[in-house]
Amino acid sequence: MLSFTDLKICAPRLVLAGILLFISSAAQARQGPPAAYWVLLRDKAGTHLDAARYLSAPAQARRQRQHLPPCDSTDFPVRPDYVRQIRALTDTVTLVSRWFNAVACRATPAQAAALRRLPGVRAVELRPAAPLTPASQRPAPADWELSAADRQLAQRQTGSLGGPIFQRAGLTGKGLRIAIFDVGFIRADQHPAFLQLFAEKRVVLTHDFVRNQPNVFVGGSHGTEVLSCLAGRLPDGTPLGLAPEAEFLLARTERNLRELYAEEEAWLAAAEWADRNGADIINSSLGYTARRYFPEQMNGRTSLVARAAELAVRKGMLVVNAAGNDGDDETWRTIGTPADGDSVLAVGGLDPDTYLHVPFSSYGPSADRRLKPNVVAFGRVLAAAPEGYSVVEGTSFASPLLAGFAACAWQQERGLSVMQLFQKIQQSADLYPYFDYAHGYGTPQARYFLPDKTPLPTPATFDITRHDSILTVLIRPEAAQVAAYQLPLYADSAAGPATAEKAASLPALGREAPVPLLSETARAAPPGPAGSPSLPAHPEYLYWHIADRRNVLRSYEVREVSQRAILRLPLRRLQPGDTLRVQYRGFTQSYSAQ
Amino acid sequence: MRPLILPVLLGALLSFFAPASVLAQRVLLRENVADDTVRSTFGPNRAFYNHAYLSYGLVAGPAGGAGAALRYGRSAEVQLGLRNKWRISQPLALGLDVRYARPVYHLAQTGQKTVPNAVLHRREYLALPQAQTEAFVRLSYGRRGNAIGRYVDALGWGGWVISSVHHYEDGASNGAKKVQTSERGLAYVNRWTYGAGARLGSGRYALVGRYRLSHVFRPGTQPRYPELPRWLLGLELSWL
Repeated sequence: MLSFTDLKICAPRLVLAGILLFISSAAQARQGPPAAYWVLLRDKAGTHLDAARYLSAPAQARRQRQHLPPCDSTDFPVRPDYVRQIRALTDTVTLVSRWFNAVACRATPAQAAALRRLPGVRAVELRPAAPLTPASQRPAPADWELSAADRQLAQRQTGSLGGPIFQRAGLTGKGLRIAIFDVGFIRADQHPAFLQLFAEKRVVLTHDFVRNQPNVFVGGSHGTEVLSCLAGRLPDGTPLGLAPEAEFLLARTERNLRELYAEEEAWLAAAEWADRNGADIINSSLGYTARRYFPEQMNGRTSLVARAAELAVRKGMLVVNAAGNDGDDETWRTIGTPADGDSVLAVGGLDPDTYLHVPFSSYGPSADRRLKPNVVAFGRVLAAAPEGYSVVEGTSFASPLLAGFAACAWQQERGLSVMQLFQKIQQSADLYPYFDYAHGYGTPQARYFLPDKTPLPTPATFDITRHDSILTVLIRPEAAQVAAYQLPLYADSAAGPATAEKAASLPALGREAPVPLLSETARAAPPGPAGSPSLPAHPEYLYWHIADRRNVLRSYEVREVSQRAILRLPLRRLQPGDTLRVQYRGFTQSYSAQ
Repeated sequence: MRPLILPVLLGALLSFFAPASVLAQRVLLRENVADDTVRSTFGPNRAFYNHAYLSYGLVAGPAGGAGAALRYGRSAEVQLGLRNKWRISQPLALGLDVRYARPVYHLAQTGQKTVPNAVLHRREYLALPQAQTEAFVRLSYGRRGNAIGRYVDALGWGGWVISSVHHYEDGASNGAKKVQTSERGLAYVNRWTYGAGARLGSGRYALVGRYRLSHVFRPGTQPRYPELPRWLLGLELSWL
């Protein structure tokens, strides 16, 4: 331990060292240290693209399916003479973006000035450093031993979206290609949760856009956890996500500790790569927040990644993004970017215990008052971690659950355009047409996409009545029945190792063989009720909000239903044009103030 | 219409006669969007921000005469302050600090020494604790979100000397290992100080240089003391 005397001796030396350091960096600054720049180009005159050669067959099929042109000017290559000129003048070219007709490079101020004078250059913009943070938290250490609660959570994280319904219908994401942008996929290629995935060579391509090399099984395990929420399995074959038979493109776009603005470029490069290689869905469990932006800039038009995500949607890819984990951060609280993008499906987190918004999940709306998050899924899940399986928290994991859901829905209705799918996913959610800025439209439901399950009109469950200056919401007697919940013999008896024989038949962890195809086992199984009998019932809450004439919410609330007279609202709380909207047990009713 | 009559009547009755307890409900989530989305005016890159900081600087530069030579490296100033910053635009901000500063001048014990007298001691310093205020103009560069970022400040400061101490230490005397003497309320010290400077910072760290324009000693005192070194070069650490 340093004594005060030691400190007195050390302090001047430290100060001197600091001063020398500053002086040397100041001297270097005068010489012009290299900095990162975007060189925005004027045109693509004279360039051509043979879409059939540039785009992979799945990418061409995706565009054809959605009635998009085979290619447009954003797909054309950047003019090679422009790139050559820039390379000749700069230290390093880090990215050439067709979509933005721009070149990212490192250059000294003098070189940047020379770049500005080039004939094809529209602008040269400085790129400052900023963090891109994985939207997840790890509450508990990983553990190879799975408890009954873990197995139940694994069932419920897919069951809450209607996973078993998709399975019985043979919808497992087959034929869909999903790109995952993340920090790294450590041990994903060796983990027992992905044995089948790798054995069937369904990880089609990998690329590390940070270090520009193919190995993505480095850098961090966040991507491994995210991948497991799409295609991971427990040793007994229980799926952890909804798309265990999809194909995957794994992209590393982020550094784990040293986080730079270059990651936004990497995201863009990965999106272009995913487009070219036929991705149908991009899952991005990442988000930029305070270091680079203000909450009021979360409008989908400011950040590079939000604009890149919008372009990806225009190319026919569904972009699913985690809403963010800043819900309990008073200085930010709202969604990050690119979740703010208008066409980006922002996924919030749901508490598996209460089926309510989990506190850390970022709230909407976007800065321009659009609905965000769009939908929710479990924000606490069982995921494959490098050292086994682990319960992890974060909207990072809600996002891949939803991406898997989207893959199944698209598999069912392959002719949908990306925005039709986007709308349908929102419409399938359990609160729709009701929404709020914590839950969006709620949790999407698989049954909505089954052809023979056209939903019947939901019976009215309550009435809104006006008496003088009070609006009263009264639950109808027929909707006031609370369903009994039958206890299972064992909490995890639905699919877990309920018997000693079944437990004994499970291979040891680390020695698992690929389990039979889930769709085969699911189809072979006798039809049962939707969902697992052991899953606790979804609590029925009453949701209500007040929206203004632009349908922007003024306030919203969720109430526990413990009596039929559930809500009294003084009319003075409604301004002219406002709408009171109430949702209970799938039935939504509105009252508009004149 | 018939099925609606009963709920309507019941609702009306409840509206008027139901006691408060009947109306009490457990609210699981309540958000007022207008309150939740109020644009904050306080933050590192918002309209206003304030934070505490700690600074340590070394006295530097030549003394006004050989009689005021210092022990460089030991002569230093510690500051503890509160910084208030008002943003004018993304690159421009104004600020005002209030702080406690304690400059200490360790006098070199040489034959030419005249401050505050020619007597040599084993150790001797003048400490002039002050209350200071400092105004600055900040130019930031680079796009950033709600963060301090990188900046250059031009600053001017003034202060009032709260107390003044002439402390010296001598060797063994009259059975004591050492003898320490402190003289307070020095009549020859100027009570008002002021100066100018610049600061170069990034986030919570900054390098600061200040030049004292005022004199340490009163002009009219006899003997006339040579001026102490005017420069201060140091580092700042902010609590953001």
